[in-house]
Amino acid sequence: MTALRAPFTTLALRQAVFCVAGVAGALAVLAVPASVPALGAFVLWASGALATRPTPTVAPLFLVLFPLTLALLVVLAAPIGRAMGAAQRSLAARLLGVRVDPPPPRPSKRLGALVADGPGWRAVGYGLLKVPLAIPAGYGAFCYVFGLVNLSYPVWWPLFRNHPPGTTLGPVRALTPFGTLGTRTFAGTFLIAAAGLAMLYVAPWLMRAATALEVAAMRRLLGPRRLAERVRQLQVTRAQAIDDAAAMMRRLERDLHDGTQIRLATLAMNLGMATEKLGADGPPPDLAQARELVVLAHRGAKDALADLRDLVRGIHPPVLDNGLGDALATLATSSAIPVAVDVDLPDRPAPAIETIAYFCAAELLANAAKHSRASRVGLGVVGAGGRLTLTVEDDGVGGADPAGPGLSGLARRLAVVDGRIRVDSPPGGPTRVGIELPSYV
Amino acid sequence: MRVVIAEDAAMMREGLVRLLTDRGFEVCAAVADPDALRSAIAGCVPDVAIIDIRMPPTHTDEGLRAAIDIRRDHPDVGVLMFSQYVETRYATRLLADRPTGVGYLLKDRVADVADFVDALTRVASGGTALDPEVVGHLMRAGRDTAGLASLTPRERDVLSLMAEGRSNAGIAAALVITPGVVEKHVASIFAKLGLPSSDSDNRRVLAVLRHVSR
Repeated sequence: MTALRAPFTTLALRQAVFCVAGVAGALAVLAVPASVPALGAFVLWASGALATRPTPTVAPLFLVLFPLTLALLVVLAAPIGRAMGAAQRSLAARLLGVRVDPPPPRPSKRLGALVADGPGWRAVGYGLLKVPLAIPAGYGAFCYVFGLVNLSYPVWWPLFRNHPPGTTLGPVRALTPFGTLGTRTFAGTFLIAAAGLAMLYVAPWLMRAATALEVAAMRRLLGPRRLAERVRQLQVTRAQAIDDAAAMMRRLERDLHDGTQIRLATLAMNLGMATEKLGADGPPPDLAQARELVVLAHRGAKDALADLRDLVRGIHPPVLDNGLGDALATLATSSAIPVAVDVDLPDRPAPAIETIAYFCAAELLANAAKHSRASRVGLGVVGAGGRLTLTVEDDGVGGADPAGPGLSGLARRLAVVDGRIRVDSPPGGPTRVGIELPSYV
Repeated sequence: MRVVIAEDAAMMREGLVRLLTDRGFEVCAAVADPDALRSAIAGCVPDVAIIDIRMPPTHTDEGLRAAIDIRRDHPDVGVLMFSQYVETRYATRLLADRPTGVGYLLKDRVADVADFVDALTRVASGGTALDPEVVGHLMRAGRDTAGLASLTPRERDVLSLMAEGRSNAGIAAALVITPGVVEKHVASIFAKLGLPSSDSDNRRVLAVLRHVSR
């Protein structure tokens, strides 16, 4: 069905527009080298050097102007390449939804930087590459457009059958990739229509191949270089790691300040009051109140201990020292929804990776308990080939937002170790979150 | 004696109310944020307000800023800052305009009920109550290490207690010595640090603090 519908989707139309734009771009690129000799000829003609009389001489004006034009082209090539690259990137983003990051900007406005602009020249290279790439693109667009045109022959054929009988007509011609087809009869138009249909079904494949080639060329030549991209990514994730660490310390301070510290101060206060009620020596002046205060203090001490235990577990769950499997099994038992844990780890990942995986699992289970209304959750961990994959799936209502603060926070923390998160949560469910981490940092 | 309490942790707030009521104070308001504190002060004009430094909404120094406002608008209301940590800059900001009717104590100090009530009473009657931690910080941050080094250990104890805002009698009780001995130590300290001697406890605190935190 999808193959039958392929030519009639907006994607096909968008690809066709993209291909036509590619052909136009290639023609523009071809026009530039052609314009240089043309310009030279024009300058020669204007300066009278082409005149046969008197003796043909190369005009001094030409000797000055032509190299100047060439120099101007060299200087302008990189900025023009950049501008064209930007246009191409936005075209790809709009029509195909393909995002190619822009290369780093030119370091300075000086002439030297203009000529020695690596990304600019790479964009020029892309421009040159457009010429051969225009061949499949043009072919695809041709098949698409003329496929539609040929398909329409039987429709308009009867509209032109108004000449007197017995008139001999020249054949009606139709364009196909294998030359022209001609027909003099109505039946023949169906042959043309069939050819059109065939072209129409071939066109999406051609256009898909052409756009794939274009996009590959764009990623290599119009985006940032691999290394530059990696550096940028590392800068971003490093900044996030620093932010996260600072935020974690702040949260820890806040938790201690507002929880445990307050509990302990109150406990000390109650014990202080109890001490007063008991008196320094002799019979206690107010034994009943002292007892009540001691009971209060006792409860306070137990609450403070529970607080601290939660806090400590939040920093680093001690059971994690026994391995991720044990830790996740313990985590699962404290979940509100029944969790089926399935851990398959041939060897232990690095401690930092175990910690990240554990807290991701904890957050995802908490999310499931809070939002999914699921009746059960599956938690799986598989280690293979230096990668660790953690999946959490539930049978709940779905609709989890990967851009929400919780999941995007996870993505940020994972990015620090080159981990990835994939969220699949259609409205109505079920939700499946996959996390992939390297086993070692 | 009328008290207003501003403390966002409910457990602590209730504990304080209980403690002070038990000790015969009249707690006319116990609130959880600076705005409620301001209207409570305007409403009942207490003798002293106990104010937590970190309060909503940002949990930074709302309490301190409220305290500075209160000291400006109601000079007769003593202000006792209450915090879980010592911040020397907060102390100097509080003491900057006038070191009367002001205190800065760690929350831990409520454990010693008698001392706490004593400090609160002192602040309510226009005196000073600085936490030993605050005093220690100020002294360590001070420049006159030579002057401080010339003090005997006992004199240094007396100086710290003076800086906390205690009277001679209070110092005598804390160190278990007679008031006469305290007086002798005080005179010696003032002579060694080159401070003009003064009878009033407040002016004495001021002189000592100016000296140690200079």
